[in-house]
Amino acid sequence: MIRTRGLVKKYGAFTAVDGIDLNIEPGEIYGFLGPNGAGKTTTILMMLGITRPTAGEIQLFGERFTPDRLDLRRRIGMVPEKHPRGSWQWMTAQEYLEMFAALFRVPRAAARIRFLLEKVELHAVRNRRIGTFSHGMLQKLSISRALLHDPDVLFLDEPISGLDPLGIKQTRDLLVSENRAGRAIFISSHQLSEMERLCHRVAIISRGKLLAEAAMSRLLSRMGSGREIHVELESVPADLPLALGALPAIQGVRVLANGIAVRVPADGDHRKTVSGFLVQRGLVPLRIEVVTPTLEDAFITITQESVAGLAAQAGAAPGHGETRT
Amino acid sequence: MSRERLRAAGVLARRQLKELLLSPGPYVALAIGLALGWILCSGFARAIDSSGFDPRLDAAWDLVTRACSGAFGPVFVERMLSEGPFLLVVVACAAPLVLLLVISSVVRMGTDRTSGALELVASGPADGTSWFLGSFARDAVVSAAGLALIALYCVVLAAARNLAVGPMAAAAIPVLFLLSMALSAFAVLCSVLVTNAGGALALFAAVCALLLAALAGSLGAQVSSFRTGARAASTLIQWVSPFFYAELCAQGYGGGSALQYGAGLVLLAALTAAALGVAHLVLRRRGVRP
Repeated sequence: MIRTRGLVKKYGAFTAVDGIDLNIEPGEIYGFLGPNGAGKTTTILMMLGITRPTAGEIQLFGERFTPDRLDLRRRIGMVPEKHPRGSWQWMTAQEYLEMFAALFRVPRAAARIRFLLEKVELHAVRNRRIGTFSHGMLQKLSISRALLHDPDVLFLDEPISGLDPLGIKQTRDLLVSENRAGRAIFISSHQLSEMERLCHRVAIISRGKLLAEAAMSRLLSRMGSGREIHVELESVPADLPLALGALPAIQGVRVLANGIAVRVPADGDHRKTVSGFLVQRGLVPLRIEVVTPTLEDAFITITQESVAGLAAQAGAAPGHGETRT
Repeated sequence: MSRERLRAAGVLARRQLKELLLSPGPYVALAIGLALGWILCSGFARAIDSSGFDPRLDAAWDLVTRACSGAFGPVFVERMLSEGPFLLVVVACAAPLVLLLVISSVVRMGTDRTSGALELVASGPADGTSWFLGSFARDAVVSAAGLALIALYCVVLAAARNLAVGPMAAAAIPVLFLLSMALSAFAVLCSVLVTNAGGALALFAAVCALLLAALAGSLGAQVSSFRTGARAASTLIQWVSPFFYAELCAQGYGGGSALQYGAGLVLLAALTAAALGVAHLVLRRRGVRP
């Protein structure tokens, strides 16, 4: 449905996006993750035709996309991170949607607007000026505006940022119902727990480079295809991680602030093995907890690996040491 | 120019027009303009004695004629008043409205770019060009309606004071309309070149000051050092000045040359189109994002 190949965006000497290849399939919820300044928004802006790429190609619905392809843009809905309230604050919600319905030439616009306002529970306030709307109401209005012309794909930039728990749930339910209706959804967000619940596939970018793109389950399996046993201890002897790591079925050990995290395969209960070993060593496990890796763990691991890799490359680069000293 | 873009511009123009008409700005500007016209028309009647029109007999006319004579020379003033006061009355009535429209265009474009509104519209079947064309179309509609109202007002004023409007004032209406359109196009260009609304407004003011200085130079200012500089500048920049083409129309009308008057109108329209074309190319290259 949407493909990018070797997408690059440079601002002078700074490369904001560096050769990104994405592939969004019809009917999926695709999460686009990355730390602040990773190049997420720049990538989205290029995919929407708002910013021209320095190099690379974007294909929308099987056709080459350039900013001049207004016909392809009609098939996209966009929900920005911040609703530009200032410019349209004098309009009512109804007038606001009518303007976009006219821009998109929505057939039977009045009925469609009513349907969407009822769906996002804003029909009762349709004649109120949007300047008086709360952040949550604006977000709902923004989503209904993006759905107005029945787009094939919906782009959302931080859709739940700043929303209260009820607003988050309503937005999540709305997106899930839209996806079940067959609409592809592309979400850029920092709310990793929500992304884990919503997305079928995710891509992680950092410093303009794509670090991973996979189905959610595959991405989580990169964390060791298993789970972690967190053991709270009074103190952690220096040789404990090495000794514990030598046991069969132990995939890795890391030291936590108040104990250790032992990575084990997902099958079987390995708590006995770990606690037995600790007791043998004269240690008293104060608390044992089995933790399944989350998207947040995957995100942190992958982005930290990338940073470490870049640092190692920079350290190995000839002349780097001289430059720094 | 794609049909889709023009259609989007029409939708945006209607919304911007509604927004403008809901604000007090155009009514205040028009009221100020009409009040200025009334003051000038009343003063003109007071400044007529047995020897004819003497601007020194009315404070407002004395101030206006001295100021215009100082900036653009006595010949310019004589031509302005050759058929009575109504050419100046029309200009005075229209000036606040035109000023309001161009300022609001510049500020609106700047705030819409920085707030992300333009980006949101550009993610759909419109683009930056549709946006500024919408703003330009709004200015065209309001200018045309405002000038029609001003023309009617002048007829009423003339009848009340037992004066004649004169063909020169009528001939000035299309020139003023195209001049305001050219200024609006320049305002669009400035707001495309400078993202920040304040900066764009400052650039527009500087461009207008420069073009007026060039006009003053070409007409022959009174202060010699100013005249020399302005004349040199005018030779270079008069070809991109809407004031120059408006003056060309005035000269054509004064000299009885319908061809020169018509050519001035066509050139004003061409300059407007050129300014909008440059704005389109700049926006296409830079994008709508600030």
